[in-house]
Amino acid sequence: MTSERGAAQLESANAIRAYQREWLEDTRQRVKQGEPFAICNGDEFEEVFNIMDIPVIVINYWNSIIATKRMTEYYGDVLINRGYPANYFAMGLASTIDNNPETAPWGGLPKPALIIGGTKSDTEMKVLEIWAREYGCPFFPLDFGLDAVPELPKYPPPPRWWEMMADHWDELIDPRRLDLRVEEEKALINFIEVTTGRKLSMAKLEQGLELLNEQEILWGKARDLIAETIPCPVSLRDQLAVYQAQWHRGTIRGRDFIKAYYEEVKERVEKGVAACPNEKLRLMWMAGTPPSWAKWAEEEYGAVCVASLFSSIPIDSYYRATINGDVMRALASRHMVLFLETPDWRLKDAEIHQCNGVVETANPSIPSFNKQLFEEAGMPLCQIPRDRDDEEVRAILSDFIETRLLS
Amino acid sequence: MRGGERLTSETAFEEIQRHYQQRDLAAREWRGNGGKVVGYFCDAVPEEMILAAGLFAIRLSGDPHGKTDVARQNVIPRFTNREDFVHSILNMLLTGEYDFLDYLVIPHTRDSIHRLYQLIAMMKDSDPSLNLPELFFLDSVHTTFFSGGLYNRDRMLELKESLEEWSGKEITSEALSRAINITNENKALLKRVASLRAAEPPCISGVEALQIISSSMFMLKEEHNKLLRGFLDGADKFPVRNGIRLFVSGSPLDSLQLFEIIESCGATIVADDNCWGNRYSNVPIDTSLDPFEAIADRYHNRSPCSRMYPMSRRLEHCLQNIMEAKAQGVVFNVFRHDAAEIWEIPDKTKALEEKRIPSVYFRNQPYLITEPEPLKTSIGELIETIQRSQ
Repeated sequence: MTSERGAAQLESANAIRAYQREWLEDTRQRVKQGEPFAICNGDEFEEVFNIMDIPVIVINYWNSIIATKRMTEYYGDVLINRGYPANYFAMGLASTIDNNPETAPWGGLPKPALIIGGTKSDTEMKVLEIWAREYGCPFFPLDFGLDAVPELPKYPPPPRWWEMMADHWDELIDPRRLDLRVEEEKALINFIEVTTGRKLSMAKLEQGLELLNEQEILWGKARDLIAETIPCPVSLRDQLAVYQAQWHRGTIRGRDFIKAYYEEVKERVEKGVAACPNEKLRLMWMAGTPPSWAKWAEEEYGAVCVASLFSSIPIDSYYRATINGDVMRALASRHMVLFLETPDWRLKDAEIHQCNGVVETANPSIPSFNKQLFEEAGMPLCQIPRDRDDEEVRAILSDFIETRLLS
Repeated sequence: MRGGERLTSETAFEEIQRHYQQRDLAAREWRGNGGKVVGYFCDAVPEEMILAAGLFAIRLSGDPHGKTDVARQNVIPRFTNREDFVHSILNMLLTGEYDFLDYLVIPHTRDSIHRLYQLIAMMKDSDPSLNLPELFFLDSVHTTFFSGGLYNRDRMLELKESLEEWSGKEITSEALSRAINITNENKALLKRVASLRAAEPPCISGVEALQIISSSMFMLKEEHNKLLRGFLDGADKFPVRNGIRLFVSGSPLDSLQLFEIIESCGATIVADDNCWGNRYSNVPIDTSLDPFEAIADRYHNRSPCSRMYPMSRRLEHCLQNIMEAKAQGVVFNVFRHDAAEIWEIPDKTKALEEKRIPSVYFRNQPYLITEPEPLKTSIGELIETIQRSQ
């Protein structure tokens, strides 16, 4: 249904939103009855937990819920009072230190059986070790986890690396590191089996990877429809809300969430439903949460954010074909490298979404990672100092739209 | 050392100071004589292999007083911890201050060092005309498990092969054993320095000790051993130091600034937990093992860096050294954006409180200390607290 303000929220997105709330309550009940629960850093290992039917909360997802509930300042103070820095990655740790179900989002997390994370950054390794100690549960560190910056040995990565990630990931990942990672993940699975009593088989693992890949392909099809359809059929808010289905990848539920999403997007395209009927300009927003100024930009200029940093991650990064039938290796490769943060990848997204311009938050005194390539390619890029719908940000955006996009 | 001069404690220390202040002195001389120079970062690169290859090993340090303008023009500062240190190093590399390096070995340690590798590799790739040394990334795990030890061992083998290629000769077991003997002697002599510094009363200051230890990483080890022997020969005549005994823990210290400020307040830094300080010489290499395996083993299990898992090992190491040195108080110093250190301090502080050892914590410190007065005030208060409790 399209109104003057645009299409209603996607039913498939609302179903995912609703399920997430139910999921935590269900998990709490299961833990009360003695079932294991895990905390895992994002994209580190969580689909293996899903395949083993062990509920798992992804740390960056939990942190984002804390942020959505506007608890980051409060939890920042909790950390500072303990002598720690008010670090965003440690928001979950802060909620555990605070130990107050009255104030914690969703009443807080149940006690985990274990915490999994990488040793990849100075902060991550320490925070997870402290967090596990707070809970009195084991922390199992994995070496060479996902890194947001290009990794060895492909540095700088080859052009159009995203076209290699699905079927030729072995050419993008250091095989020596991958050998160790596979060994560490096997040891971790043994550890989980011993500590939780749950079992994993190759058949289940294969099925999980197939479901994961089906889910990401469907996501890619939905992405293509969103990118090629003018006006854009799905709001960025809904596109990003759907992302929560990623935490259920490797399961039938996760696959079906995205199947429903794709079918709803397709239906909207066929019926000509627009997220914002007033769409005159298309923007890419370089962040993972909807911009606070989106409504203003739509109403003032018909400038609609149609793409984000997350638009292509499912199809460009998560899908992994098995090579030589080695499922463990394919999954471990995913845990080591999800994507390589390069300007050409982001430019490709802006182009396929038929964007007129790109907006990113950045300190104007620091050179943009993306600006040079974007401008050379004729894709105007606007830097705003923060994501806030205030006078200064509006003035910068107005100037950008009027002088770069409309002139 | 000036030719023919008799080596006394004083002249030996003068020479040590000269090499601490002019850190490129020995490397440039070596290169001037036709030798090749291998730079490295951190205390995670096996100097023994570089020595056994007949190459000169020098640990690179930044310069808190130096410029960073050229680096800042060339670097997009994304994901950079300890940006001022990283920029200092890059500036020195880009402006020719490290132009005597033939090769550079960068270990996979802290995020800032890892980032340095990526930035230097990117610069070399984008502008091959830059006069930057050939790189070797010494990958390693951040856990100390058995499987990770095997991984590190394999990377050490790759380094050995590269060193052989660079030097044009095989690194034999005999050469490795000789190098181990030299570095073990160095560590043993540095341990004697540490003992004199932690003696009751101490007869070496923290400022002196930091220069003595760090200079080992800028010189030929045999030369440093010679200087150390000369220096220690006169140890029985060293004047004793009075004052409160302090221990310093925290971020790597490649300059004297902090130690000078602390000791100017009348204290003596009797020991430290620092890779430019005592931690460098804590663990010798086991000479009963195959030399290559012993080197790989030592670097996998060396005294724990704050970048390593688990934290409990770090805490134990730090407390043990505080107690052994009979420190009366502790100074924690953490540089701005040094994420490896910052999460450990609350545990350490708590453990010290249980032992009734007072501490002071300098957090978010700049690489270059431009305002020493607040630090001096805090040190003064720490000293007063200790004196009141005596």
